[in-house]
Amino acid sequence: MFTLPLDILLIFTAVSPVVGWAAPKLYRSKIAGAFSAIALSATGIALYSLYQDVSTNGAIYVTGNSLIAGYLKVDMLSIFMVSIFLGLGLAATIYSMEYVENSARSPIYYTLLLTMISGMVGIVFSGDLFTLFVFWELMSVSTYALVAFFREKWESVEASLKYLILGAAGSATALLGISLLYGLAGTLSFEGLATAFTATTNPWLYIASIFIFVGFGVKAAIVPLHTWLPDAHSSAPSTISALLSGIVIGTGIFVIARAFFSAFTSIQQQWLPIIAVLSFLTMFLGNITALLQTDLKRMLAYSSIAQVGYMLVGIAVGTQTGLTGTFLQFFNHALMKGAAFLCAGAIIYRLGARELKDMVGVGRKMPITVVVFSISLLALIGLPPFNGFISELTLVTSTFQTNLAWLGFGLILSSVISAGYYLRIILTMIQIPVSEKIEKVKETPLLMLIPIVALAVLIVFFGIYPDPLVKFAQHAVTAFPSLGGAS
Amino acid sequence: MIDLTGYLVFSFGLFSIGLYCLATKRNMLRLVLGIELLINAANINFIALAAFAMPGFVDPLGNAFVCISIGLAAAVTAVALGVVVLAYRHYGTLDVTELRRLRG
Repeated sequence: MFTLPLDILLIFTAVSPVVGWAAPKLYRSKIAGAFSAIALSATGIALYSLYQDVSTNGAIYVTGNSLIAGYLKVDMLSIFMVSIFLGLGLAATIYSMEYVENSARSPIYYTLLLTMISGMVGIVFSGDLFTLFVFWELMSVSTYALVAFFREKWESVEASLKYLILGAAGSATALLGISLLYGLAGTLSFEGLATAFTATTNPWLYIASIFIFVGFGVKAAIVPLHTWLPDAHSSAPSTISALLSGIVIGTGIFVIARAFFSAFTSIQQQWLPIIAVLSFLTMFLGNITALLQTDLKRMLAYSSIAQVGYMLVGIAVGTQTGLTGTFLQFFNHALMKGAAFLCAGAIIYRLGARELKDMVGVGRKMPITVVVFSISLLALIGLPPFNGFISELTLVTSTFQTNLAWLGFGLILSSVISAGYYLRIILTMIQIPVSEKIEKVKETPLLMLIPIVALAVLIVFFGIYPDPLVKFAQHAVTAFPSLGGAS
Repeated sequence: MIDLTGYLVFSFGLFSIGLYCLATKRNMLRLVLGIELLINAANINFIALAAFAMPGFVDPLGNAFVCISIGLAAAVTAVALGVVVLAYRHYGTLDVTELRRLRG
């Protein structure tokens, strides 16, 4: 069918509801969660063998020879992206085993979660826009349902509706763009599009590229299209917030990078300045609005918008170093924001309140969680011993190598602004507790603590010893043959 | 026989009507219909471009894509209607302006 990792993941996804319902009622959530964790681990093992294959033989093309098939192209970039999808997915699944209450609906939660991850794996594996769009919708539909999973809460339902309307309109816009590309080139594979458009500057190509950028930009929350993000990311269950912020928005960035550096190479020069301005707006709007928030998860959601701005900086630069920075930032952001949302979820789970002012002194009662939370927040600012520093440094370096130094200064200034709210969160949490409520709070349960600590260890590890990660990212970016200005 | 331009104008017109519907209507069900219009505009574009790809020949890729796209649109609509039902149970109305309780 598709490649081995994706096959394993899809089969496990299809079997997971049966396992959940067959399990004894008392342990449904735990058993379905363990099953999903096994699914993700098995996919990881299959991915490793695929990695060895790709690193020796180069990109693998899969053209279907069975009833269910698609046109797939697996290169180093796909492997790089899938490794973090599976890593953060596994962390969120283990965390969910404690976090999601045991009920008749809990098996559906894991099925949707696996569906979302298989959709994303399919997106990064696909070799043409047809396959990509099918997996894109697979991912989108499951995220709409997951945001509304706690359906007894009005925030979740309302946020899901808003996300669904904007997301589905975005997908339809992308579909219109894809149809125009199909009309222009007669094919939808990335290689075919690149060959068809090598020298054309047909006005229809500009129109199609606008539709593609807007359509996929909705999911990536680029600034004029970001309005759904703070609602959806803050109202979803915390595990889903971690996955949405960590990897789903990055998938949008991936598709834009794939489209603009593999297919639209002839009109790239006109687009890069526009992307530079949008990335500037995105990071400043995200960070400045985050300063005004009082709700912890909303603050983190706005900070995700700012991080999307950082990732766009590398795309706007458009060199080898710039894109290495973008994908490093994507990888590191998944670890940092994943850890931050999971910690915030743990604090809200124990405390039952979401406002920052109710959390004064919670660090005295949940020391491990708050230490990990502080590590992830300091990494999000981009402070040296953590991994966020490495990727932001790469991005700033890449802007100075081209004539976009203003964007690099913007990134540094924006990080300084972001320190304003990240440090406020840390300060609030380590003060002496004032309310009775805090006194009763206990440390996070063990099953929720393990994935959080594991993510924090990775944040520190990749901060101190970034070489393997940076090499992996540089190798991944060679997937784009048309990059100018190699470092 | 209508030429390709006619179909393209029609599909862009349909797309604009869909966007207008999403921007101005307040009923949630009408918003779901607006999304359907957007997807169908894109589908018509595909069919028209597939038919005019080569004289006397219809490209199967475009038609295959449309078949799958209709299925995907049905899945999106199903989830959308599910969320609309949940929203109706919470608020007792289908008016979207009633549910702006979330901060902007």
